Amino acid sequence: MNKSTLLFLSALTIFTLSGCGDGEKTEEVETVDSTKTEEPKNGQVSETFFQVPSPGEMLTFIKMIGGNTKETSFLNPPANQKNYTDNKLRALNFGIYSCDLSYCSIFEIGSEALKYFKTVKVMGDQLGVATAIKPEILKRLESNIGSSDSLGVITDDVYFSSFEALEESKQGPTLALVVAGGWLESIYIATSLIKKFEPNSAVIERLADQKYTLENLVEFLKKHETDVNVESVRKDFEGLLEEFNKIAEKDAQATKTKDNKAATLTGGKQLVITEDVYKTIVNKIKTVRNSYTLTQ
Amino acid sequence: MKYFLTLITIAFLNTSFFAQASVCGQFHKKYCVLEGSSAGNWQYNAQSKSGLFNQGMVSKLRCVIYKGMDYRISVCCEVTIGDKVNYKIFDSRTNELLFDNATAEDTQTFEFASVSTRQLIIEVVVPKGATEKDKHKAADAACVGLLIEHKITDRQGFSSY
Repeated sequence: MNKSTLLFLSALTIFTLSGCGDGEKTEEVETVDSTKTEEPKNGQVSETFFQVPSPGEMLTFIKMIGGNTKETSFLNPPANQKNYTDNKLRALNFGIYSCDLSYCSIFEIGSEALKYFKTVKVMGDQLGVATAIKPEILKRLESNIGSSDSLGVITDDVYFSSFEALEESKQGPTLALVVAGGWLESIYIATSLIKKFEPNSAVIERLADQKYTLENLVEFLKKHETDVNVESVRKDFEGLLEEFNKIAEKDAQATKTKDNKAATLTGGKQLVITEDVYKTIVNKIKTVRNSYTLTQ
Repeated sequence: MKYFLTLITIAFLNTSFFAQASVCGQFHKKYCVLEGSSAGNWQYNAQSKSGLFNQGMVSKLRCVIYKGMDYRISVCCEVTIGDKVNYKIFDSRTNELLFDNATAEDTQTFEFASVSTRQLIIEVVVPKGATEKDKHKAADAACVGLLIEHKITDRQGFSSY
């Protein structure tokens, strides 16, 4: 870990420990009474939106709890980009490459990050968001190679523009496939980084918790299932969800966190994954992911 | 320099995949951000959302929160000054009411952690009131923003995986 990263992590730890309150609150942990049950309103509900945490959140979590690797062998090689000739694979692999870009950046593999950035740009153009990725942006990118902060700003610009272009052009199914590809790749990377099954590992727990995210993702895909490409991916993900549903549950125990000033929501379930279920899920993830990347 | 690349890329991928563009765009990023919240400890969560909704209607958002994280939810609405958005937070499986801002002085911001990873339903009621005139939307429609931020509560104690 280099000096800059250490400095950043130290600062983040200080912020976390100190909280962001006004300084007058006590150190006591406020517990929210969660015994009251009330049916959410249904009468005038306009729509329920199903949200999915970003792939970067998973990767950042792994990094923050001690992940430190430069391994890239499990990523989808940029050279494969030319193999994705239909809309389904382009959208899925746009999400996958975006996640790979995030991994390279979060784990400070700068040279690879640049390659993946270029790949994301090419695929963004293929997805019909060329107007969002203007030629001058590429020039800015090329002239800022080696300047990671500038590269990040440019990346940000490209992503926002691409995202808005997809929405404004009403490409909801494409967006759904991009989300699906990004999430799947983040889980695939996580399982690739886990060398040994340890039931109490924070990463293993986080992997099991992906059951909830996958449920949301499947619901989101259902909103676009009239699209044949989304429908096929939804079926894949429902097959994966069947494996996640084999994870056992037990009542969650309250754990006191140091210097935490936020209210605490009690209750809920803790997922308990066995090694057999874990292996099955890992294999399923690999199979589905490789069927999208057209790799072995 | 390297950590800048990491930070900015995190921000890049934390962008919501679901936020609506067009009329409301990134409303939550403009209007739900707390003053002085750019210190860096809170990170933007991709599950944030903006949308255009009719007044008086209920909108629900189902999101996932992880144990070991702190979350901050900020809700804001495009209404005249003084109007407040009512929101409730439920456990999606049990329908347990976990938080109701009406019982907390209509606070628009709620900071919390959870002892378990779970799905939450955030139910937002858009109040009736005057809205800003805009040729792109109906007179009784309003932009609602729901900003979710997170940070790791504490170091988890694992030095390797």
